[in-house]
This record gives sequence, C-alpha cells and structure tokens, in this order.
Amino acid sequence: MLTRALFLSALLAPGGVPDLAAVTPPDSFAIRAARVHLGGGVVVENGMVLVEDGRITASGANVTVPDGVPVIEHEGDLSAGMIALHDHSATRGENYDSTRAILAEAQLVFALDVGHSDLARLASEGVTSIVVAPGPQALVGGITAVVKTTGRAVKRRAQLDVSLSSISLRAARFPTSYAGAVAELTRRFEEAEGAFADAAAGKLPVLLRVGPRHEVQRAVEFAKRLKLVGALYGAPRAGELADAIKAANLAVILPPFDPGDDSRGPKSAVQLAAAGVPFGFALDAPARHPASLRLGAAACMRAGLEPSAAWDALTSGAAAIAGVDGYIGSLAPGMDADLVLWSGPPLDLGSSVVAVYVDGKRVFGGDE
Amino acid sequence: MRLFATWLACSLAAGAAASPIFAPDVRPGTAQEGETLFIKAGRLIVKPGEVLDNAQVIVRGGLIIEVGTGLAKPEGAREIEAAVVCAGFIDPWSTLGVDAASVRDDRTGIATRTVDAIDVFSNDRLRLETLRSGVTSVRTQAGDKSKFGGIGAIVHVAPGTSREAVVVLADANVAASVGLSRGGRKMDVFDRVSEIDKLISEIESGRKYEEDLTEYEHELTEWKVEVAEKEAKLEKDFKKAKKSRTKKVEEAEEKGKEFKEKKYKDIKKPKPPKFDLDKEIMARVARGELPLVVQAHRAGEIRELLDLTEPFDRLRLVITGGTEAVAFAEELAERRIPVIVWPAPLGTTRADELSGHDLGLAGRLADAGVRVLIGSGGSSASRDLPLLAGVAIGHGLDRAAAFEALTLGAARTFDVADRIGSVERGKLADLIGLDGPPLVSTSRVRYVIVGGEVVLTPEN
Repeated sequence: MLTRALFLSALLAPGGVPDLAAVTPPDSFAIRAARVHLGGGVVVENGMVLVEDGRITASGANVTVPDGVPVIEHEGDLSAGMIALHDHSATRGENYDSTRAILAEAQLVFALDVGHSDLARLASEGVTSIVVAPGPQALVGGITAVVKTTGRAVKRRAQLDVSLSSISLRAARFPTSYAGAVAELTRRFEEAEGAFADAAAGKLPVLLRVGPRHEVQRAVEFAKRLKLVGALYGAPRAGELADAIKAANLAVILPPFDPGDDSRGPKSAVQLAAAGVPFGFALDAPARHPASLRLGAAACMRAGLEPSAAWDALTSGAAAIAGVDGYIGSLAPGMDADLVLWSGPPLDLGSSVVAVYVDGKRVFGGDE
Repeated sequence: MRLFATWLACSLAAGAAASPIFAPDVRPGTAQEGETLFIKAGRLIVKPGEVLDNAQVIVRGGLIIEVGTGLAKPEGAREIEAAVVCAGFIDPWSTLGVDAASVRDDRTGIATRTVDAIDVFSNDRLRLETLRSGVTSVRTQAGDKSKFGGIGAIVHVAPGTSREAVVVLADANVAASVGLSRGGRKMDVFDRVSEIDKLISEIESGRKYEEDLTEYEHELTEWKVEVAEKEAKLEKDFKKAKKSRTKKVEEAEEKGKEFKEKKYKDIKKPKPPKFDLDKEIMARVARGELPLVVQAHRAGEIRELLDLTEPFDRLRLVITGGTEAVAFAEELAERRIPVIVWPAPLGTTRADELSGHDLGLAGRLADAGVRVLIGSGGSSASRDLPLLAGVAIGHGLDRAAAFEALTLGAARTFDVADRIGSVERGKLADLIGLDGPPLVSTSRVRYVIVGGEVVLTPEN
C-alpha cells in the first residue's frame, strides 16, 4: 500500500541512476497522505510530513521537500501515534512490590523489558507510547514513566502513583483503612525531599488511583487540600463529578472499555469534555488488547463525544496529561516522528494500521 | 411439521407427560396495526450489494409495503428522513433478553427452550442502548456455555411488553458447546473428546428416532390397510358366518356343552417408538430443520466435530467462536458451515480455549470463502456488536462482508431471511437511519424502527 516515489530528478547522476547513499540524509523522508491529522482537530487533505533525523521538521499542506529526500505516497490517513496513559505492557508482572504499601522511589521504567513482544503488539495497533504504571496492589507504587514502543524513555519520572482506592488496602499490611492511608500519605507529602516532596511542590504530577464515585470525591478533596497537580485514574463515572474535578484542576484517565461495559463510562468522556476537564485513556495491556484503546474512543463517540475531542484524548491531550506534549502527540514541527499510516480515518475502527514509525524508524508494516 | 403433528397426536393418546413443547404456539412478530411511515433515504441499502440513492420506503401495519425511488408520500404518513437507511442489525450470538440465571445455567438440556426464559421486563436500559446502536434482533440463547443450551430463539430488541410481541422465531436452532472452560477451570483433552462424542451420539439418536418414526408410520399405514381388508371380508362373510354360528350354538346346547366363540387371529397393531423429547428435537436437527450451533474453539475439537458430523448429510452445522478455525477454512467453505466470530479485543486474561484468539479471524475465514457472521460472544453486549464489526473490519474483514454478516447473512443462517435482514417488500419493518455509512465508528444512528414502530428518534 505504500508507494515510494523518489523525487530525485535534480540529483540524478549523469548516467541517470540515483546514488541514494550519497544524496539521502540518514533517517530523512517525507510522507504524503490523502489526509494528515496534524492534531488539535486540524486535518489537511493531501498533506505532507517531513521527517529529518527522527523528528518532524515540517508538516501541513505546503511542505517543501529538500532535494534527495524520498517521499512516501500513502493513499490513506496519517496521524501521530496514540498514547496509552496507563499500561503494564512488557513489565512481566514486575511492576509492583507485594510486601510494601509505599514505595515512592520505585521507578517503573526499570520494570520494562524493552525486547518484549507486548511492545510490538502495541505498535501494530498504532500505539507508539505508553505510561508504564505499577499494579494496583500498592498504596504508592512508584514513579511512572513514558516510554515508546521501541523501549526508549520519553520521560523517566512522569507521575507519582498514589492510590486512594480500597483495592490497594490490605488487612495485614499497614495502613489497613482509608483513614489510615490518608493520614500516612499526608505525613509523607510533608517530607522535605524525594518524590513526595516533588509532588507536594507541584514538580512531579500525581496519578491518583480511584474507583467508585465516593473515591473520586475523596481524591479530589485530598488533591485540593495538598495542592497536588495531576490526574485521576480508573474512575469510569468521573464525568458525574466533572465540575468538582475541574475545580481541583485535575485531569482524568478513563479506564479501558470492554464490550458490554456500563455505558456510563463512555458517557463520562462526554461530560468531562463539556466541563473542560482534560482526559485520556488507560489501556492496561497486556491484560487488555491494544485494540481496546480505539474501541474505547469509539464507544465514547457513540455516547456523543466529538471526534476531534476523542482524537485529542488519544494523542495530544494524552501527551499533555503525561507531561510530554513537547515531544509526542502531534505532527507539529519539532515533535518526535512517531507516525501511524492508516487505511482510513484513524477514529474509524474499520481503518487498519498500515505502517508505524517511531522516532522516524519504521517499526511495523509498510513495504520492505 | 406434519410428521410432528402426527407424532404429537400419537404421544398425547399414549398419555405422554406435558413438556415445554406444548407451550402455546407463539405467533412471532405478527404485524401490528401501526402508523404509516414514509422514510426518505439519501442512500438506501436495500440489501448487501444493492443500493438506491434518494429512495423511499413505505411502512404500514409493521411491514415494508413499498421500496423505491420517486414514491409519493401516503396521506397521513409520518415522514422520517435520514442520510443512510438500512436493515436493522442482527446479533446471531447473544443472550440479551434471557433472564440472567437461565444464561448462566449450565444444566440446560436439548429440550430447554430459550423463549421460556425470555424476560421482557428486565434490563430496559441495556435494550434501549442496543437499539440505539442499531441492533434490532438477536439470536438469544439460554445456557450459552452449557453442553446443551437447548433451543435458541430470534427475538426483536423491542421495548415489548409480552413475549409474543418480541419473538420473531421461537425455534431458531439447537445450541451445544464443546471444550469450554467451566467454573474457571479448563477441561482436559479426554473430557473434551467425550463432549463431542456425546453430541454426536445425540445427533445419531435423533436420526435413529426419525427412522423408527418413519418405520412406525409405514407399518401403521400397512396395518390400517390390512385391518380394512379384513373388515371388508368379514362384512362379506357376515351372513354365512352368522348362520354357521347359530347352528353351532344350537348344537352345543343340544349336547349340553358350552359354546366356544371362534377366535380370530389378531392383526397386531404396530407400536410407536417411545416418546422422547430430546430425540424428537435432535431428529429435527439431524434432518436439517433446525441448525445445530456448536461453540468450539480449539483446532482439535473443530477437526473432530467436522469429521464426526460429516456422515449427517442434512445436518446444518454452525460453529460459534471458532478461534482456531482458520486451519479448516477450506473445508468450512466447501461444506458451507458458517462461523460466528467474536472479534472482541481480548488481553492475556482469557479462557484457555481462547488462547489463540485473533482479531484477524473473521477476515481470514471470509477470504477463504467461509460464511462469516459476527456475534457479541454469547453475552448481553449486543449493544457493542457494531463496534465489534468495526474491529473485525479494521483487522481484515471486508466492510461489505461485515455488513452482510450483521444483516442478511445472519437472517439466512437462521431461516428468518423472509422476514428480516433487508429492506424489501413484505418484510418486517426493522430499519435504521444513520447520519453516515453503517459500521463506520463516527456514524450515528438517528432512527430505529422495529416491526414498523419508531422506537428511537434524535429527540428521544
């Protein structure tokens, strides 16, 4: 489906045969697609993206391709890679410590097996970055990391994972109650240095794990009281409390959507969008299939979410929540060349992934 | 059915115990008196592969009475307009509408009838959401994971108030399953094989029963002829016989002896085979009257199933799941065995039999010429069927094939294509109106009409 057309007329050797090695800068190419989804709801027909040294250097309708740079012609759509805001891929179950409730300095990036097949599977579904998060067992599970599906870390210290959910309390492990957990967490956030201190100072966002509605309310109060910045994760019905979440200046990471799930989850996205709360989607692979990410977005659109808002939540909005919007999530010049070539509009589940590039390197599909 | 009626009469005479099959005859989906609708479509998908631009559909009495272009609006008709109009979707693998305990029941039998477990009052919200997604009918099944789920039914996803109002076809299929993990435990290979053997022996019993019944009917006919002949002869000989008898009675009296009546040789009446409801139903399966829907996933089980069902040349096998069915795609295509695929994105937490689950299954089977249907996997998640179809398309299934799977393909497989599955004259008016092409994730369903009743509009 990919056709390479080399724009080399100016560089043809006297004999008429181009010498590619001599004229093409390494990792430089351009892709022209029927529709280019630049981000922020902007879609350019017959647009182009220029990639040089793994970065996007130009994108849009009028891109001048330097001489000697190959242009890949694509009949479908081109977009930035999607970002899963909560995931356990390639961690082989080593993303939690079963003995300790609080392990603030554990860096999840070290749990990642960069050669694991989970990562290739993510890429094949158009997911190019994930937030590696701890399992639900700990009260404070450590520091999440934003990594690409090639294994390269975009941000090693993304968020401090803090649970305000009863799922993380154990009868035989301190603290055993919600009140005890709040007391202990409050005390730890007063520490002079370390991850808690960084989070309390607003230098490290928090990822507040919650579940049912009352846990969302508690987490919002907790965040307000300690002046924490960050996002709530795992609240399918967060939308019902959208105004309170907005007032606390928090974002929301919606849990993955499975067929048959309560429709109030997808409805939440509509309510959050209406209230102006930034939101994105968790994937929680490998327990979930990477295709679940787009399925969740489609379920939200069915519930009334605008396609542009759904796409933001999968890309640029997600990047902002993870604190990496300067690097990934859109096709703006200066961004990493994490690109997905689709057979059709990326939000249509019926469109398939044709090829995927991470940092300008093809990691899935395309012509050999 | 005549055979069955005869048999029923016989068994009633024999004093057979009451059984679910004696439930009152359900007249499914009977056209109700309703308003006349005039539906204008920018694009009308009449049936897979047949599209009319700027077309109209006239609905009256619950039925589609006219389809075409340039039709005039009947006086007093309610006008509905949508960019795209097509037949409502059909979920061929669902449990929607069946009460929860009956769905989980793993001790259902061949004679269990799903229509008896349909609860039209529960789960209002889910049914409404299902309609909103464009799904207007489902094949629903009690005991979906049971070894024998019994008789499944095709029902409307209507906000109905009675069972009669929602049933489209009460006896749509007989369901069975082989090799499923039950109670969270996977089965060992011997148990799996024995489940298939049991299934095959039930089909064999059904066939034998059918043969016995045919033989009985034949013998009964012969017996009737013989009795009639004898009676005619007796009639003819009656006077002579009477005279002779009178004489003999007198002689006996004279001699003071007791007169012994002459005993006629009895013509033995043939006995019917012992009534067995399970066998009666499996006979319907064996002769192809009811499709046999078998949930099977592993290659080993599908292989065994295909081999052992081959001798039953009238059997209509339908495989649900078919996780590893690609290995037999050619044979499935040749034997015209449809496969109902469940293209749900499954992660690592899945039952053992689903370990080979692949979203590309539907596409690969269809490419090999297999009739592929798409189902919501025996759950009540029929609401998400169009999304699952989208996932299947995104992983290789042709868009047109997916549309056919959700409409006429499903209707044909379960013998309701004369009533639902396309927008044609005489069919039940199960229609959806969308603002874009069907099965595209950004398209929204604006109108849903079930049996001629407008159940969803943009306003509600």
